[in-house]
Amino acid sequence: MAQKQLPQEFYQLLEELQAVDFALVDLTLYLDTHPTDAEAINQFNQLSYQSRTLRNKVEQIYGPLQQYGKSYSGYPWDWNDAPWPWQI
Amino acid sequence: MQHFSRWKYYHPYISPFDPCPPIKVKAYSTPPHLYMGFQPEGLQQYQLREALYAGTLWPALYDPYEGIQHKEKREG
Repeated sequence: MAQKQLPQEFYQLLEELQAVDFALVDLTLYLDTHPTDAEAINQFNQLSYQSRTLRNKVEQIYGPLQQYGKSYSGYPWDWNDAPWPWQI
Repeated sequence: MQHFSRWKYYHPYISPFDPCPPIKVKAYSTPPHLYMGFQPEGLQQYQLREALYAGTLWPALYDPYEGIQHKEKREG
């Protein structure tokens, strides 16, 4: 159980990721009822790409955000390393 | 014609046996989407970071959802 020290830029990246992911949630709900809004679909796809890029950056600092192979693990297995998401 | 407000008011029945001082006017706030109909395309959006803190991507759907006490404090 290594104790990671999170640098300042991590928090900025995480907030960006949270903002992008929130916009994706809202756009998903919107597109459910507006399936032909091409502009929104464009925005959705751009944000989807941004989300993946940001997630990679965040994971390089923090470690895996997702389980079951959706994120890479470091060595040794670092899924359970502190701080846990609600301790950040 | 009154000025439109998302706050709605009603006068509850006051029992003569009410053990507490009666609240003569009750108020509740209603969310903005009720007055929008079907959401139009291309509404103006918040910046991503603002949206995260507002809880919605569109200013037209923002609702602070404050209680009536809060509203009275703000408007006197």
